[in-house]
Amino acid sequence: MIPGNKDTRDGIAFSLPFLVVYIAFMIYPLLSGLYVSFFKWDILSSASFIGLDNYKVLFTDEKFYSSLWHTLQFVLMTTPSLLLVGFLMALAITGKSPLKGLMENVFFFPYIFSMTVVSTLWAWIMQKDWGVLNQVLMMLDKSPVSWLTNENYAMWSVALTTLWWTAGFNMVLFGAGIKQIPKEIYESASIDGATYWQEVRHITIPLVSSTTVLCLILQIIASFNVFGQVYVMTGGGPHGTTRVLVQYIYETGFKYYKMGYSAAMSYILFLIIMLVSVLQYALLGRKENT
Amino acid sequence: MKSKKLIIRTLELLFIALWVFPLAWMLITSLKLEEEVITKTFTFWPQNPSLANYIKAFTSTYIVNWMGNSFIVSLFAMLLTLAVDAPIAYAFAKIPFKGRNVLFWLVMGGMMVPFQVLIVPLYLQFNSYGLVNTLAAAYLPRIALPIGIFILKQFYEGIPSDLEEAAFIDGANRARIFFKIIVPLGQSAMATVIILSFINAWNDFLWPLIVINDTIKYTITVGIANFQGTHGTQYSLIMAGATVASIPQILFYIFFRKKIIAGIATSGMKG
Repeated sequence: MIPGNKDTRDGIAFSLPFLVVYIAFMIYPLLSGLYVSFFKWDILSSASFIGLDNYKVLFTDEKFYSSLWHTLQFVLMTTPSLLLVGFLMALAITGKSPLKGLMENVFFFPYIFSMTVVSTLWAWIMQKDWGVLNQVLMMLDKSPVSWLTNENYAMWSVALTTLWWTAGFNMVLFGAGIKQIPKEIYESASIDGATYWQEVRHITIPLVSSTTVLCLILQIIASFNVFGQVYVMTGGGPHGTTRVLVQYIYETGFKYYKMGYSAAMSYILFLIIMLVSVLQYALLGRKENT
Repeated sequence: MKSKKLIIRTLELLFIALWVFPLAWMLITSLKLEEEVITKTFTFWPQNPSLANYIKAFTSTYIVNWMGNSFIVSLFAMLLTLAVDAPIAYAFAKIPFKGRNVLFWLVMGGMMVPFQVLIVPLYLQFNSYGLVNTLAAAYLPRIALPIGIFILKQFYEGIPSDLEEAAFIDGANRARIFFKIIVPLGQSAMATVIILSFINAWNDFLWPLIVINDTIKYTITVGIANFQGTHGTQYSLIMAGATVASIPQILFYIFFRKKIIAGIATSGMKG
Protein backbone atom coordinates (compact mmCIF):
# COMPACT_ATOMS: atom_id res chain seq x y z
CA MET A 1 0.00 0.00 0.00
CA ILE A 2 2.91 2.29 0.63
CA PRO A 3 5.42 2.43 -2.22
CA GLY A 4 9.05 1.69 -1.53
CA ASN A 5 8.40 -0.40 1.52
CA LYS A 6 9.50 -3.94 2.08
CA ASP A 7 6.19 -5.49 2.99
CA THR A 8 7.32 -9.08 2.76
CA ARG A 9 10.45 -8.53 4.81
CA ASP A 10 8.52 -6.57 7.46
CA GLY A 11 5.69 -9.06 7.50
CA ILE A 12 8.06 -11.91 8.21
CA ALA A 13 10.04 -9.91 10.76
CA PHE A 14 6.92 -9.00 12.73
CA SER A 15 5.56 -12.55 12.55
CA LEU A 16 8.80 -14.21 13.57
CA PRO A 17 8.66 -13.98 17.39
CA PHE A 18 5.24 -15.59 17.47
CA LEU A 19 6.11 -18.18 14.85
CA VAL A 20 9.16 -19.33 16.79
CA VAL A 21 7.05 -19.91 19.90
CA TYR A 22 4.20 -21.38 17.89
CA ILE A 23 6.44 -23.87 16.10
CA ALA A 24 8.31 -24.78 19.28
CA PHE A 25 5.28 -25.33 21.51
CA MET A 26 2.48 -26.17 19.11
CA ILE A 27 3.51 -27.44 15.68
CA TYR A 28 6.53 -29.43 16.81
CA PRO A 29 4.80 -31.20 19.74
CA LEU A 30 1.75 -31.81 17.58
CA LEU A 31 3.89 -33.67 15.05
CA SER A 32 6.22 -35.34 17.53
CA GLY A 33 3.17 -36.55 19.49
CA LEU A 34 1.93 -38.31 16.39
CA TYR A 35 5.41 -39.81 15.94
CA VAL A 36 5.54 -40.98 19.56
CA SER A 37 2.13 -42.65 19.17
CA PHE A 38 3.81 -45.26 16.93
CA PHE A 39 6.23 -46.24 19.69
CA LYS A 40 6.18 -48.20 22.87
CA TRP A 41 7.95 -45.94 25.32
CA ASP A 42 8.10 -45.63 29.11
CA ILE A 43 10.62 -42.70 29.17
CA LEU A 44 13.18 -44.68 31.19
CA SER A 45 14.10 -47.24 28.56
CA SER A 46 14.50 -46.46 24.87
CA ALA A 47 11.49 -46.34 22.59
CA SER A 48 10.68 -49.20 20.29
CA PHE A 49 8.74 -48.77 17.08
CA ILE A 50 5.51 -50.77 17.05
CA GLY A 51 3.68 -49.20 14.12
CA LEU A 52 -0.05 -49.01 14.60
CA ASP A 53 -0.15 -51.35 17.60
CA ASN A 54 -1.08 -48.60 20.06
CA TYR A 55 -4.10 -47.76 17.94
CA LYS A 56 -5.02 -51.44 17.58
CA VAL A 57 -4.81 -52.01 21.34
CA LEU A 58 -6.87 -48.91 21.90
CA PHE A 59 -9.84 -50.35 20.04
CA THR A 60 -9.88 -53.43 22.25
CA ASP A 61 -9.23 -51.52 25.50
CA GLU A 62 -12.34 -51.63 27.64
CA LYS A 63 -11.06 -48.80 29.82
CA PHE A 64 -10.71 -46.63 26.74
CA TYR A 65 -14.30 -47.29 25.72
CA SER A 66 -15.67 -46.75 29.20
CA SER A 67 -13.70 -43.49 29.54
CA LEU A 68 -14.98 -42.34 26.18
CA TRP A 69 -18.52 -43.21 27.24
CA HIS A 70 -18.17 -41.28 30.51
CA THR A 71 -16.90 -38.29 28.57
CA LEU A 72 -19.87 -38.57 26.24
CA GLN A 73 -22.20 -38.77 29.24
CA PHE A 74 -20.70 -35.57 30.56
CA VAL A 75 -21.10 -33.90 27.16
CA LEU A 76 -24.74 -34.96 26.96
CA MET A 77 -25.45 -33.81 30.52
CA THR A 78 -23.78 -30.43 30.30
CA THR A 79 -24.31 -29.20 26.75
CA PRO A 80 -28.11 -28.84 26.65
CA SER A 81 -28.36 -27.62 30.24
CA LEU A 82 -25.57 -25.07 29.91
CA LEU A 83 -26.99 -23.72 26.67
CA LEU A 84 -30.50 -23.47 28.06
CA VAL A 85 -29.52 -21.91 31.38
CA GLY A 86 -27.08 -19.54 29.67
CA PHE A 87 -29.81 -18.45 27.27
CA LEU A 88 -32.38 -17.93 30.02
CA MET A 89 -29.84 -15.92 32.00
CA ALA A 90 -29.16 -13.79 28.92
CA LEU A 91 -32.90 -13.17 28.54
CA ALA A 92 -33.05 -12.11 32.17
CA ILE A 93 -30.14 -9.68 31.94
CA THR A 94 -31.30 -8.11 28.68
CA GLY A 95 -34.91 -7.76 29.81
CA LYS A 96 -36.64 -5.12 31.88
CA SER A 97 -36.02 -6.58 35.34
CA PRO A 98 -34.80 -4.11 37.96
CA LEU A 99 -32.47 -6.91 39.09
CA LYS A 100 -30.72 -7.30 35.75
CA GLY A 101 -27.48 -5.55 36.69
CA LEU A 102 -27.19 -7.65 39.83
CA MET A 103 -28.02 -10.82 37.93
CA GLU A 104 -25.39 -10.19 35.28
CA ASN A 105 -22.71 -9.91 37.97
CA VAL A 106 -23.92 -12.77 40.11
CA PHE A 107 -24.36 -15.25 37.28
CA PHE A 108 -21.01 -14.48 35.70
CA PHE A 109 -19.04 -14.31 38.93
CA PRO A 110 -18.38 -18.06 39.46
CA TYR A 111 -16.71 -18.27 36.05
CA ILE A 112 -13.71 -16.23 37.21
CA PHE A 113 -12.89 -18.73 39.97
CA SER A 114 -10.39 -21.43 39.13
CA MET A 115 -11.60 -24.93 38.43
CA THR A 116 -9.87 -26.34 41.52
CA VAL A 117 -11.46 -23.79 43.83
CA VAL A 118 -14.89 -24.48 42.37
CA SER A 119 -14.39 -28.23 42.55
CA THR A 120 -13.12 -28.32 46.13
CA LEU A 121 -15.93 -25.98 47.16
CA TRP A 122 -18.63 -28.18 45.60
CA ALA A 123 -16.98 -31.35 46.87
CA TRP A 124 -17.43 -29.85 50.32
CA ILE A 125 -21.02 -28.75 49.67
CA MET A 126 -21.82 -32.24 48.39
CA GLN A 127 -19.87 -34.02 51.13
CA LYS A 128 -21.87 -37.02 52.33
CA ASP A 129 -21.80 -36.60 56.11
CA TRP A 130 -21.35 -32.90 56.84
CA GLY A 131 -21.98 -31.19 53.50
CA VAL A 132 -24.65 -28.51 53.52
CA LEU A 133 -26.66 -30.11 50.72
CA ASN A 134 -27.32 -33.24 52.75
CA GLN A 135 -27.88 -31.19 55.90
CA VAL A 136 -30.69 -29.39 54.10
CA LEU A 137 -32.10 -32.70 52.85
CA MET A 138 -32.09 -34.08 56.38
CA MET A 139 -33.85 -30.98 57.69
CA LEU A 140 -36.55 -31.72 55.12
CA ASP A 141 -36.72 -35.28 56.49
CA LYS A 142 -35.17 -36.78 53.38
CA SER A 143 -32.36 -39.29 53.55
CA PRO A 144 -28.89 -37.99 52.68
CA VAL A 145 -27.46 -38.71 49.23
CA SER A 146 -23.95 -39.90 48.40
CA TRP A 147 -23.53 -37.23 45.74
CA LEU A 148 -19.98 -38.05 44.79
CA THR A 149 -19.63 -41.68 45.81
CA ASN A 150 -22.77 -43.17 44.30
CA GLU A 151 -22.41 -44.36 40.71
CA ASN A 152 -25.80 -43.00 39.75
CA TYR A 153 -25.19 -39.48 41.01
CA ALA A 154 -21.45 -38.81 40.76
CA MET A 155 -21.34 -37.63 37.14
CA TRP A 156 -24.53 -35.59 37.59
CA SER A 157 -22.95 -33.90 40.59
CA VAL A 158 -19.89 -32.95 38.56
CA ALA A 159 -22.17 -31.74 35.75
CA LEU A 160 -24.19 -29.64 38.19
CA THR A 161 -21.00 -28.05 39.51
CA THR A 162 -19.94 -27.27 35.96
CA LEU A 163 -23.35 -25.75 35.24
CA TRP A 164 -23.03 -23.40 38.20
CA TRP A 165 -19.44 -22.57 37.26
CA THR A 166 -19.72 -21.82 33.52
CA ALA A 167 -23.34 -20.93 32.72
CA GLY A 168 -22.35 -17.27 33.05
CA PHE A 169 -19.94 -17.67 30.15
CA ASN A 170 -22.73 -18.70 27.79
CA MET A 171 -24.86 -15.92 29.26
CA VAL A 172 -22.27 -13.36 28.14
CA LEU A 173 -22.19 -14.76 24.60
CA PHE A 174 -25.98 -14.99 24.30
CA GLY A 175 -26.34 -11.57 25.91
CA ALA A 176 -24.05 -10.04 23.28
CA GLY A 177 -26.10 -11.75 20.56
CA ILE A 178 -29.42 -10.55 21.93
CA LYS A 179 -28.20 -6.96 22.30
CA GLN A 180 -27.47 -6.89 18.56
CA ILE A 181 -31.10 -7.51 17.64
CA PRO A 182 -32.67 -4.17 16.57
CA LYS A 183 -35.18 -2.83 19.10
CA GLU A 184 -37.63 -1.94 16.33
CA ILE A 185 -38.38 -5.59 15.66
CA TYR A 186 -39.63 -6.06 19.21
CA GLU A 187 -41.51 -2.77 19.13
CA SER A 188 -43.46 -3.65 16.02
CA ALA A 189 -44.13 -7.13 17.38
CA SER A 190 -45.60 -5.77 20.58
CA ILE A 191 -47.73 -3.31 18.60
CA ASP A 192 -49.10 -6.36 16.81
CA GLY A 193 -49.94 -7.80 20.23
CA ALA A 194 -47.24 -10.44 20.56
CA THR A 195 -46.71 -11.84 24.04
CA TYR A 196 -43.26 -12.04 25.64
CA TRP A 197 -42.81 -15.74 24.90
CA GLN A 198 -43.99 -15.28 21.31
CA GLU A 199 -41.31 -12.63 20.91
CA VAL A 200 -38.68 -14.93 22.40
CA ARG A 201 -39.76 -17.83 20.21
CA HIS A 202 -40.21 -15.99 16.93
CA ILE A 203 -37.69 -13.17 17.21
CA THR A 204 -34.97 -13.80 19.79
CA ILE A 205 -34.29 -17.49 19.21
CA PRO A 206 -34.09 -17.30 15.39
CA LEU A 207 -31.98 -14.13 15.46
CA VAL A 208 -29.38 -15.43 17.92
CA SER A 209 -28.98 -18.70 16.05
CA SER A 210 -25.39 -17.91 15.03
CA THR A 211 -24.56 -17.32 18.70
CA THR A 212 -26.27 -20.60 19.54
CA VAL A 213 -24.08 -22.42 17.04
CA LEU A 214 -20.98 -20.78 18.49
CA CYS A 215 -22.00 -21.65 22.07
CA LEU A 216 -22.85 -25.19 21.07
CA ILE A 217 -19.51 -25.80 19.40
CA LEU A 218 -17.50 -24.19 22.20
CA GLN A 219 -19.50 -26.09 24.80
CA ILE A 220 -19.11 -29.47 23.17
CA ILE A 221 -15.37 -28.95 22.75
CA ALA A 222 -15.02 -27.81 26.37
CA SER A 223 -17.10 -30.72 27.65
CA PHE A 224 -15.16 -33.27 25.61
CA ASN A 225 -12.00 -31.95 27.22
CA VAL A 226 -13.35 -32.25 30.77
CA PHE A 227 -10.79 -33.37 33.30
CA GLY A 228 -10.15 -31.12 36.29
CA GLN A 229 -13.60 -31.15 37.87
CA VAL A 230 -13.80 -34.92 37.71
CA TYR A 231 -10.23 -35.36 38.91
CA VAL A 232 -10.71 -33.14 41.94
CA MET A 233 -14.29 -34.05 42.86
CA THR A 234 -14.44 -37.81 42.35
CA GLY A 235 -10.96 -38.82 41.22
CA GLY A 236 -12.73 -40.83 38.52
CA GLY A 237 -14.59 -42.92 41.09
CA PRO A 238 -16.63 -44.62 42.34
CA HIS A 239 -15.07 -47.70 40.70
CA GLY A 240 -13.94 -45.71 37.68
CA THR A 241 -17.51 -44.79 36.73
CA THR A 242 -16.61 -41.14 36.20
CA ARG A 243 -13.16 -41.66 34.70
CA VAL A 244 -13.15 -39.46 31.60
CA LEU A 245 -10.96 -39.75 28.54
CA VAL A 246 -8.55 -36.95 29.41
CA GLN A 247 -8.05 -38.49 32.83
CA TYR A 248 -7.29 -41.85 31.24
CA ILE A 249 -4.84 -40.15 28.87
CA TYR A 250 -3.22 -38.41 31.84
CA GLU A 251 -2.97 -41.55 33.95
CA THR A 252 -1.70 -43.69 31.09
CA GLY A 253 1.02 -41.18 30.35
CA PHE A 254 2.01 -39.89 33.75
CA LYS A 255 1.07 -42.62 36.20
CA TYR A 256 1.90 -45.69 34.13
CA TYR A 257 4.37 -43.95 31.79
CA LYS A 258 2.96 -45.47 28.62
CA MET A 259 3.85 -42.42 26.55
CA GLY A 260 3.11 -43.88 23.14
CA TYR A 261 -0.26 -45.26 24.13
CA SER A 262 -1.23 -42.04 25.87
CA ALA A 263 -0.29 -40.04 22.77
CA ALA A 264 -2.29 -42.38 20.54
CA MET A 265 -5.39 -41.89 22.69
CA SER A 266 -4.98 -38.13 22.68
CA TYR A 267 -4.96 -38.19 18.88
CA ILE A 268 -8.18 -40.16 18.83
CA LEU A 269 -9.72 -37.56 21.15
CA PHE A 270 -8.47 -34.84 18.82
CA LEU A 271 -9.99 -36.64 15.86
CA ILE A 272 -13.34 -37.01 17.63
CA ILE A 273 -13.43 -33.33 18.53
CA MET A 274 -12.54 -32.36 14.95
CA LEU A 275 -15.21 -34.64 13.52
CA VAL A 276 -17.88 -33.34 15.88
CA SER A 277 -16.93 -29.72 15.10
CA VAL A 278 -16.91 -30.24 11.33
CA LEU A 279 -20.18 -32.14 11.49
CA GLN A 280 -21.79 -29.32 13.45
CA TYR A 281 -20.54 -26.67 11.07
CA ALA A 282 -21.88 -28.68 8.13
CA LEU A 283 -25.26 -29.52 9.64
CA LEU A 284 -26.01 -26.26 11.41
CA GLY A 285 -24.48 -24.13 8.69
CA ARG A 286 -26.74 -25.69 6.09
CA LYS A 287 -29.79 -25.25 8.29
CA GLU A 288 -29.04 -21.58 8.60
CA ASN A 289 -28.79 -21.04 4.87
CA THR A 290 -32.21 -22.49 4.08
CA MET B 1 -50.27 -9.45 35.19
CA LYS B 2 -49.04 -8.30 38.57
CA SER B 3 -48.88 -11.80 40.01
CA LYS B 4 -46.92 -12.93 36.96
CA LYS B 5 -44.37 -10.23 37.62
CA LEU B 6 -44.15 -11.32 41.22
CA ILE B 7 -43.46 -14.90 40.20
CA ILE B 8 -40.71 -13.80 37.82
CA ARG B 9 -39.06 -11.58 40.44
CA THR B 10 -39.22 -14.45 42.95
CA LEU B 11 -37.64 -16.82 40.46
CA GLU B 12 -34.91 -14.31 39.74
CA LEU B 13 -34.17 -13.88 43.42
CA LEU B 14 -34.11 -17.64 43.87
CA PHE B 15 -31.53 -18.01 41.12
CA ILE B 16 -29.47 -15.16 42.51
CA ALA B 17 -29.50 -16.91 45.89
CA LEU B 18 -28.54 -20.24 44.30
CA TRP B 19 -25.63 -18.63 42.52
CA VAL B 20 -24.41 -16.62 45.49
CA PHE B 21 -24.83 -19.28 48.15
CA PRO B 22 -21.89 -21.59 47.30
CA LEU B 23 -19.40 -18.72 47.45
CA ALA B 24 -20.93 -17.43 50.66
CA TRP B 25 -20.69 -20.94 52.04
CA MET B 26 -16.99 -21.05 51.20
CA LEU B 27 -16.46 -17.90 53.24
CA ILE B 28 -18.71 -19.01 56.09
CA THR B 29 -17.04 -22.41 56.36
CA SER B 30 -13.60 -20.83 56.35
CA LEU B 31 -14.51 -18.83 59.45
CA LYS B 32 -15.67 -21.87 61.40
CA LEU B 33 -13.57 -23.98 63.73
CA GLU B 34 -12.84 -27.53 62.71
CA GLU B 35 -15.08 -29.03 65.39
CA GLU B 36 -17.99 -26.89 64.24
CA VAL B 37 -17.71 -28.24 60.71
CA ILE B 38 -17.57 -31.92 61.52
CA THR B 39 -20.40 -32.24 63.99
CA LYS B 40 -23.79 -33.87 64.34
CA THR B 41 -25.50 -30.59 65.19
CA PHE B 42 -25.45 -28.50 62.06
CA THR B 43 -25.08 -24.76 62.45
CA PHE B 44 -25.31 -22.28 59.63
CA TRP B 45 -23.36 -19.32 61.00
CA PRO B 46 -20.00 -19.75 62.71
CA GLN B 47 -20.53 -19.95 66.46
CA ASN B 48 -17.12 -18.45 67.20
CA PRO B 49 -16.03 -16.74 63.98
CA SER B 50 -12.28 -16.98 63.81
CA LEU B 51 -9.43 -16.43 61.41
CA ALA B 52 -7.62 -19.49 62.77
CA ASN B 53 -7.91 -21.32 59.46
CA TYR B 54 -6.39 -18.43 57.56
CA ILE B 55 -3.52 -18.20 60.00
CA LYS B 56 -3.01 -21.94 59.70
CA ALA B 57 -3.21 -21.77 55.90
CA PHE B 58 -0.50 -19.13 55.82
CA THR B 59 1.78 -20.64 58.44
CA SER B 60 1.54 -24.40 58.03
CA THR B 61 0.90 -24.84 54.31
CA TYR B 62 2.75 -23.75 51.19
CA ILE B 63 -0.06 -21.46 50.09
CA VAL B 64 2.16 -18.36 50.01
CA ASN B 65 4.68 -20.17 47.78
CA TRP B 66 1.89 -21.45 45.54
CA MET B 67 0.41 -17.99 45.14
CA GLY B 68 3.85 -16.62 44.36
CA ASN B 69 4.48 -19.35 41.79
CA SER B 70 1.14 -18.74 40.10
CA PHE B 71 1.89 -15.05 40.08
CA ILE B 72 5.24 -15.57 38.38
CA VAL B 73 3.79 -18.03 35.87
CA SER B 74 0.84 -15.77 35.01
CA LEU B 75 2.98 -12.65 34.81
CA PHE B 76 5.49 -14.21 32.42
CA ALA B 77 2.73 -15.84 30.37
CA MET B 78 0.99 -12.49 30.06
CA LEU B 79 4.05 -10.39 29.18
CA LEU B 80 5.47 -12.90 26.71
CA THR B 81 2.06 -13.45 25.12
CA LEU B 82 1.80 -9.76 24.45
CA ALA B 83 5.37 -9.55 23.20
CA VAL B 84 4.84 -12.20 20.54
CA ASP B 85 1.14 -11.65 19.76
CA ALA B 86 1.17 -7.89 19.19
CA PRO B 87 3.78 -7.76 16.35
CA ILE B 88 2.21 -10.59 14.35
CA ALA B 89 -1.26 -9.11 14.89
CA TYR B 90 0.06 -5.85 13.44
CA ALA B 91 1.52 -7.74 10.48
CA PHE B 92 -1.81 -9.48 9.87
CA ALA B 93 -3.73 -6.23 10.15
CA LYS B 94 -1.54 -3.76 8.29
CA ILE B 95 1.29 -5.38 6.30
CA PRO B 96 0.14 -6.95 3.01
CA PHE B 97 2.95 -9.51 2.84
CA LYS B 98 2.96 -12.64 0.73
CA GLY B 99 1.25 -15.66 2.28
CA ARG B 100 -0.47 -13.55 4.91
CA ASN B 101 -3.86 -15.21 4.64
CA VAL B 102 -2.48 -18.74 4.65
CA LEU B 103 -0.39 -17.94 7.70
CA PHE B 104 -3.34 -16.34 9.46
CA TRP B 105 -5.50 -19.43 9.09
CA LEU B 106 -2.62 -21.66 10.07
CA VAL B 107 -2.30 -19.69 13.29
CA MET B 108 -6.03 -19.59 13.97
CA GLY B 109 -6.15 -23.34 13.35
CA GLY B 110 -4.13 -23.69 16.55
CA MET B 111 -7.27 -22.85 18.49
CA MET B 112 -8.77 -26.14 17.32
CA VAL B 113 -6.03 -28.22 18.94
CA PRO B 114 -7.04 -29.40 22.40
CA PHE B 115 -4.18 -28.95 24.84
CA GLN B 116 -4.43 -32.61 25.90
CA VAL B 117 -2.97 -33.67 22.56
CA LEU B 118 0.19 -31.81 23.43
CA ILE B 119 0.82 -33.02 26.97
CA VAL B 120 2.85 -36.12 26.18
CA PRO B 121 5.09 -34.59 23.49
CA LEU B 122 5.48 -31.36 25.48
CA TYR B 123 6.49 -33.28 28.55
CA LEU B 124 9.05 -35.27 26.57
CA GLN B 125 10.30 -32.01 25.05
CA PHE B 126 10.71 -30.24 28.39
CA ASN B 127 12.19 -33.38 29.88
CA SER B 128 14.90 -33.38 27.24
CA TYR B 129 15.62 -29.69 27.90
CA GLY B 130 15.91 -30.47 31.62
CA LEU B 131 13.08 -28.03 32.31
CA VAL B 132 10.68 -30.39 34.06
CA ASN B 133 9.84 -29.19 37.55
CA THR B 134 10.56 -25.53 36.74
CA LEU B 135 8.16 -22.62 36.58
CA ALA B 136 9.39 -21.79 33.07
CA ALA B 137 7.96 -25.09 31.90
CA ALA B 138 4.60 -24.06 33.33
CA TYR B 139 4.30 -20.86 31.30
CA LEU B 140 6.27 -21.45 28.10
CA PRO B 141 3.59 -23.56 26.34
CA ARG B 142 0.99 -20.95 27.28
CA ILE B 143 2.58 -18.06 25.39
CA ALA B 144 1.32 -18.73 21.87
CA LEU B 145 -2.24 -17.50 22.29
CA PRO B 146 -3.95 -17.36 18.85
CA ILE B 147 -7.07 -15.75 20.32
CA GLY B 148 -4.91 -12.86 21.52
CA ILE B 149 -3.73 -12.31 17.95
CA PHE B 150 -7.33 -12.33 16.78
CA ILE B 151 -8.39 -9.68 19.31
CA LEU B 152 -5.40 -7.44 18.56
CA LYS B 153 -5.75 -7.82 14.79
CA GLN B 154 -9.41 -6.80 14.92
CA PHE B 155 -8.44 -3.70 16.84
CA TYR B 156 -5.42 -2.75 14.74
CA GLU B 157 -7.49 -3.00 11.56
CA GLY B 158 -9.61 -0.18 12.93
CA ILE B 159 -6.64 2.19 13.24
CA PRO B 160 -6.71 4.56 10.23
CA SER B 161 -3.89 3.97 7.75
CA ASP B 162 -3.44 7.72 7.28
CA LEU B 163 -1.48 7.83 10.52
CA GLU B 164 0.95 5.22 9.27
CA GLU B 165 1.26 6.81 5.86
CA ALA B 166 2.03 10.19 7.36
CA ALA B 167 4.72 8.60 9.50
CA PHE B 168 6.19 6.82 6.48
CA ILE B 169 6.44 10.11 4.63
CA ASP B 170 8.26 11.52 7.62
CA GLY B 171 10.78 8.71 7.20
CA ALA B 172 9.72 6.37 9.99
CA ASN B 173 10.18 2.63 9.53
CA ARG B 174 7.74 -0.10 10.53
CA ALA B 175 9.31 -0.78 13.91
CA ARG B 176 9.06 2.88 14.81
CA ILE B 177 5.46 3.06 13.63
CA PHE B 178 4.61 -0.03 15.63
CA PHE B 179 6.02 1.31 18.88
CA LYS B 180 5.05 4.96 18.45
CA ILE B 181 1.60 4.63 16.87
CA ILE B 182 0.16 1.13 17.01
CA VAL B 183 1.13 0.15 20.55
CA PRO B 184 -0.11 3.37 22.21
CA LEU B 185 -3.36 3.36 20.23
CA GLY B 186 -3.99 -0.33 20.84
CA GLN B 187 -3.79 -0.17 24.61
CA SER B 188 -7.37 -1.17 25.27
CA ALA B 189 -7.12 -4.30 23.09
CA MET B 190 -3.83 -5.13 24.75
CA ALA B 191 -5.47 -4.83 28.14
CA THR B 192 -8.06 -7.39 27.04
CA VAL B 193 -5.33 -9.78 25.90
CA ILE B 194 -3.38 -9.25 29.13
CA ILE B 195 -6.42 -10.02 31.24
CA LEU B 196 -7.40 -13.11 29.25
CA SER B 197 -3.89 -14.53 29.22
CA PHE B 198 -3.41 -13.84 32.92
CA ILE B 199 -6.65 -15.58 33.87
CA ASN B 200 -5.87 -18.39 31.46
CA ALA B 201 -2.45 -18.99 32.99
CA TRP B 202 -3.66 -18.55 36.57
CA ASN B 203 -6.41 -21.15 36.10
CA ASP B 204 -4.25 -23.64 34.22
CA PHE B 205 -4.37 -27.02 35.92
CA LEU B 206 -3.52 -30.08 33.84
CA TRP B 207 -0.17 -28.84 32.56
CA PRO B 208 1.33 -27.63 35.88
CA LEU B 209 0.01 -30.84 37.45
CA ILE B 210 2.11 -32.79 34.98
CA VAL B 211 5.23 -30.71 34.69
CA ILE B 212 5.81 -29.71 38.33
CA ASN B 213 6.59 -32.36 40.92
CA ASP B 214 7.78 -30.59 44.07
CA THR B 215 5.00 -29.52 46.40
CA ILE B 216 6.74 -26.21 47.06
CA LYS B 217 6.84 -25.41 43.33
CA TYR B 218 3.13 -26.07 42.70
CA THR B 219 0.96 -23.38 41.25
CA ILE B 220 -2.06 -22.44 43.36
CA THR B 221 -4.55 -24.52 41.33
CA VAL B 222 -2.50 -27.68 41.78
CA GLY B 223 -1.84 -26.80 45.41
CA ILE B 224 -5.52 -26.40 46.22
CA ALA B 225 -6.35 -29.67 44.48
CA ASN B 226 -3.59 -31.25 46.54
CA PHE B 227 -5.10 -29.81 49.75
CA GLN B 228 -7.87 -32.39 49.63
CA GLY B 229 -5.38 -35.20 49.61
CA THR B 230 -3.21 -33.86 52.43
CA HIS B 231 -5.78 -32.17 54.65
CA GLY B 232 -8.56 -34.73 54.09
CA THR B 233 -11.40 -33.66 56.31
CA GLN B 234 -10.10 -30.26 57.42
CA TYR B 235 -12.81 -28.62 55.39
CA SER B 236 -12.66 -25.22 57.03
CA LEU B 237 -8.91 -25.05 56.35
CA ILE B 238 -9.47 -26.11 52.73
CA MET B 239 -12.15 -23.43 52.32
CA ALA B 240 -9.84 -20.80 53.82
CA GLY B 241 -7.18 -21.84 51.31
CA ALA B 242 -9.69 -21.71 48.45
CA THR B 243 -10.77 -18.24 49.53
CA VAL B 244 -7.21 -16.95 49.65
CA ALA B 245 -6.50 -18.56 46.28
CA SER B 246 -9.40 -16.63 44.75
CA ILE B 247 -8.39 -13.15 45.93
CA PRO B 248 -6.46 -12.26 42.75
CA GLN B 249 -9.38 -13.22 40.52
CA ILE B 250 -11.83 -11.30 42.67
CA LEU B 251 -9.62 -8.20 42.50
CA PHE B 252 -9.24 -8.68 38.76
CA TYR B 253 -12.99 -8.90 38.38
CA ILE B 254 -13.64 -5.79 40.46
CA PHE B 255 -11.17 -3.70 38.45
CA PHE B 256 -11.60 -5.16 34.96
CA ARG B 257 -15.17 -6.47 34.92
CA LYS B 258 -16.11 -4.70 31.71
CA LYS B 259 -12.93 -5.76 29.90
CA ILE B 260 -13.29 -9.40 30.93
CA ILE B 261 -16.88 -9.58 29.74
CA ALA B 262 -16.14 -7.69 26.52
CA GLY B 263 -13.16 -9.95 25.90
CA ILE B 264 -15.31 -13.05 26.18
CA ALA B 265 -18.13 -11.59 24.12
CA THR B 266 -15.79 -10.73 21.24
CA SER B 267 -13.51 -13.75 21.34
CA GLY B 268 -15.58 -16.56 22.78
CA MET B 269 -12.57 -17.76 24.70
CA LYS B 270 -13.25 -20.58 27.08
CA GLY B 271 -10.90 -21.38 29.90
